[in-house]
Amino acid sequence: MTVFQTENIQSKLMNSYYELTYIISPVLEDEQYPAVIQRINDLITSKGGTVEEVEEWGLRKFTYEMDKKQTGFYVNLYFEGPATAIESIERAMRIDDEIMRYLTLKYDAKMKRHKELVKKNAVPEVFPVIEEDDSEEDK
Amino acid sequence: MIKNPSHPKKSVRKVKQCKFTEAGLEYIDYKDVETLQRFTNDQGKILPRRVTGTSAKHQRQLTTAIKRARFLGLMPYVAENLR
Repeated sequence: MTVFQTENIQSKLMNSYYELTYIISPVLEDEQYPAVIQRINDLITSKGGTVEEVEEWGLRKFTYEMDKKQTGFYVNLYFEGPATAIESIERAMRIDDEIMRYLTLKYDAKMKRHKELVKKNAVPEVFPVIEEDDSEEDK
Repeated sequence: MIKNPSHPKKSVRKVKQCKFTEAGLEYIDYKDVETLQRFTNDQGKILPRRVTGTSAKHQRQLTTAIKRARFLGLMPYVAENLR
């Protein structure tokens, strides 16, 4: 992709693409969620990242009890930023009492291509493997 | 012992195909819980490759995806009725 000698320098400056999903504690009032989301977005921006897409999944039921809670407010966002920012972003989220959990993923070429497919709604279907597994008891 | 190769008890082994390879999927997303659930049993355990026929490459991706989904509470570690 880049010239061999300059690659090392460029990779340090280069921004990567990340996906971040986090769960906001359900103890908050409904009006308070946008403030938390805004705070996280500002946090990313302040560390030199650019938020590309924020998707609120809303309140969802957990499949198991998490910190004595049954539900959580999910937020899924995509951002671009330097690798050094991730550490401080994650640290801030860990300290934050309103964030229950977070998951940051660095996107590689394959994942980016997959995301393009998702956008176009053209993800190839994976068919059921075993019929017995169709039971939906964990609801 | 059955010597006759065409004996009905000597069934031909069904060749299993990797569903992800067939579909041409490059990346298994942890957000796609419905697909992931098909690769777990009713207890919520990840099914082995020998059962599902998933290719090694995709099985590795699949387990990571399921574990990510579990971490975020999208999928169970253990099914509700067994806990």
